[in-house]
Amino acid sequence: MTDFIQFRSITKTFGGVTALRGVSLSIGRGECHGLMGENGAGKSTLGKVLAGIHKPSEGDVVIDGTPHIFSSPREALSAGVAMVHQELAFCPDLSVAENLCMGHYPRRFGLLIDREAMADRARTLLNAIGVNLDVWQPMRDLSTAQEQLVQIAAAVGTNPRIIVFDEPTSSLAEPDVHNLFRLIDDLRQRGITTIYVSHRMPELFRLCDKISVLRDGQYVGTLGKDEMTHDAVVRLMIGRSVEEYFPHHLAGSPGDTVLRVRNLTSPGLFRDISFDIRAGEIIGFAGLVGAGRSEVAKALFGLDPRVTGTVEVNGQPLQLQSIQASMRAGIGLVPEDRKRQGAVLGMPCRANISMAVLDRVNRAGFLNDAKEKQIAANFFDQLHVKASSLEAPVNSLSGGNQQKIVLAKWLARGGRLLIVDEPTRGVDVGAKAAIHALIDGLAWKGIAVMLISSELPEVINLSTRVIVMRDGHIAGELARAQATQEAILRLMAGVEMAS
Amino acid sequence: MQEFGLTLVVLALGIIMSVYGYYDAAAGRPNTFLNFDNLIDGIATPMSYYAIMAVGLTIVIITGGIDISAGSIMALSALGTAAALQLFPSTAPAWQVLPVAVVVALGIGLLCGTINGGLIVGLNLHPFIVTLGTMSIFRGLANVLPPEKTLPSAGKRLPAAFTTEFMRVEVWGIQPMPLIIMLLCVALGWVYLRMMVVGRETYAVGGNEEAARFSGLPVAWIKLRTYAIAGLAAGLAGLVSVGRFGTASTSTGTGYELTVIAAAVVGGASLLGGRGTALGALLGTLVIALIENGIIVMRFAQEYRLIIIGMAIIVAVSFDRLSVYLSARRGNQRA
Repeated sequence: MTDFIQFRSITKTFGGVTALRGVSLSIGRGECHGLMGENGAGKSTLGKVLAGIHKPSEGDVVIDGTPHIFSSPREALSAGVAMVHQELAFCPDLSVAENLCMGHYPRRFGLLIDREAMADRARTLLNAIGVNLDVWQPMRDLSTAQEQLVQIAAAVGTNPRIIVFDEPTSSLAEPDVHNLFRLIDDLRQRGITTIYVSHRMPELFRLCDKISVLRDGQYVGTLGKDEMTHDAVVRLMIGRSVEEYFPHHLAGSPGDTVLRVRNLTSPGLFRDISFDIRAGEIIGFAGLVGAGRSEVAKALFGLDPRVTGTVEVNGQPLQLQSIQASMRAGIGLVPEDRKRQGAVLGMPCRANISMAVLDRVNRAGFLNDAKEKQIAANFFDQLHVKASSLEAPVNSLSGGNQQKIVLAKWLARGGRLLIVDEPTRGVDVGAKAAIHALIDGLAWKGIAVMLISSELPEVINLSTRVIVMRDGHIAGELARAQATQEAILRLMAGVEMAS
Repeated sequence: MQEFGLTLVVLALGIIMSVYGYYDAAAGRPNTFLNFDNLIDGIATPMSYYAIMAVGLTIVIITGGIDISAGSIMALSALGTAAALQLFPSTAPAWQVLPVAVVVALGIGLLCGTINGGLIVGLNLHPFIVTLGTMSIFRGLANVLPPEKTLPSAGKRLPAAFTTEFMRVEVWGIQPMPLIIMLLCVALGWVYLRMMVVGRETYAVGGNEEAARFSGLPVAWIKLRTYAIAGLAAGLAGLVSVGRFGTASTSTGTGYELTVIAAAVVGGASLLGGRGTALGALLGTLVIALIENGIIVMRFAQEYRLIIIGMAIIVAVSFDRLSVYLSARRGNQRA
């Protein structure tokens, strides 16, 4: 295979920070090439350099023999490079058709938008990737998976030679991921070269012909199809190998029932949810995005004004619909959306960690600075947060360390039940292992943990039991021994599961 | 650091004006800018209303909100205070007059602010819309309620114990009371935002309201009290105004809200929430006051005042954005 794309000693600096350092890398024509690395390793940055979003500080990219230094996505597009972004960028109140045709609306009399032509073009674009959607519905009404399909349709519609996928599965549930894979296979068959940026190994193994690994902004190596093993990749990524995690909390025996949920129902979201969690247990919640797992979590934390049913914490009835009551009962929630619900990104780590214990650092209305600092420093160190200091704003931290700050906030408060919703989404391998160990350690100490995750290995690996939700109700409960990937998937998708 | 940059701007303006004032002065006459009369009567006193309200507004802006009804609240408070005080003989003693003045002025401010906050939180409406409405309503009340357009009524005078002996009291040839009240306000605002738990809650709500809610903070209450405080500040501004002039009219404080917003924003408060300080509010007001004073001292035609102020606001905020952008570039931004 000839070198279709050649990165030639690409260096990219942001202010004083070097994101890429002399990266040289070749990619063959028609290849599906994976880019791996921990968060902050520079894999996304390299993808963005190719797509013209970041202009390299040094070096260039040779595509099919022609050297390029793109300084805008438009230039990259005209050279045949399209990108599917991690964060989806659309106008939520405009229709699918309007979003797809944005920037080049078909016109009538040069002034009015030709709605028919616009709808036709949108349908053509969607059909090209085998998708059928009502093109007049507003973007807001689409699921994340559908939104992503629209984005891919837009990218494919530009007739590219190369498509860069940046963490496309980070917000997708299992079946949607399968659809995406089929689509990428299909693109490859059409001769389109795909660059796939991700840190999910199974996906890369399944999809890619080759995987290149970056570490700390530098190119480490490339693995061919036959060399791809979990161990080999991890060794390249972090320079050492990690053992499979075996949870310690299983060695202890569960204590009294901490959480007793009976017939929890919220109209349109979930119904008749009943389950128990005992002290020292980790109950994994599996299910598709939208199956109602996060909604149950929010309801238990007092965030659902329409929820009905009975909840008991340590035998005491819990007043529903009140966050304060839930917190008093000892419930904490690490929410699924770290940036929107978890952390105040502009505030320092110290202030974020103390946010749920402000009542304890309150001395006659004044902040007890010394005590706050002591609490924050304690958990900051305990969780090995990597940040320049306790005073660093949370948005200067990597995803994994931001998540540790959110966890620290609830550890600082303490409590009986911790709900963790997608605790390792967008988190690199090292931090992921640390977070797993932390959750396990909490259960070992006798805290009841409700673990919601879309990553099946995470659920299977950590949980004492697994509850599977589908369409707003509990589809089944599996003991640890029965909780195989296959069994969970079958429950998740119901009887009409195809593959 | 935000305040550092603003302090430099204030110093630069001060030096430019002093040099101008030195050459502008006739031989043997004092510097036309750098003299006590100008610094107190020309700058500190007129800016005191703005600065007091800017501190209150900055707290609102930190939560990501806005309050444009401040000028109208100030008018209601000034008129209410004048209406109450004209019931006393002009020789009434201070111990009777001052408590009444303070309670009436602050009470009206607090009430109006609580109405703003209650509507914003209770009906879940955008603060701009709510305070746009109440700006009009409060101003309308200020037009309708008093028996005359100007208080005290003809033939009456406010008690001297409140005016010449308190708000206009002379010490060493200057009238320091508005300045003192302003500085006190800034100090209280500083303590509130920097040292108290309520201040931390304010920044948390403005930085990320959703995350604050998810951490169990009482977001509705935090927002409500923020608008109450802004109302309180406007009420205090009304008190200072009526004490200084000895009168209040239906047009008191008209248009002040825009200057106050400008002062808060120049002082570094971000309309997106999460950013701003009490000291910044003071310095932001001072920048605007210095420019206004400069226009007078340099004898520019008053017609140009609005144009110059407007440009100054845009320049100041652009510089602020630039410094934020530069410091973000220096920070770690990796993919």
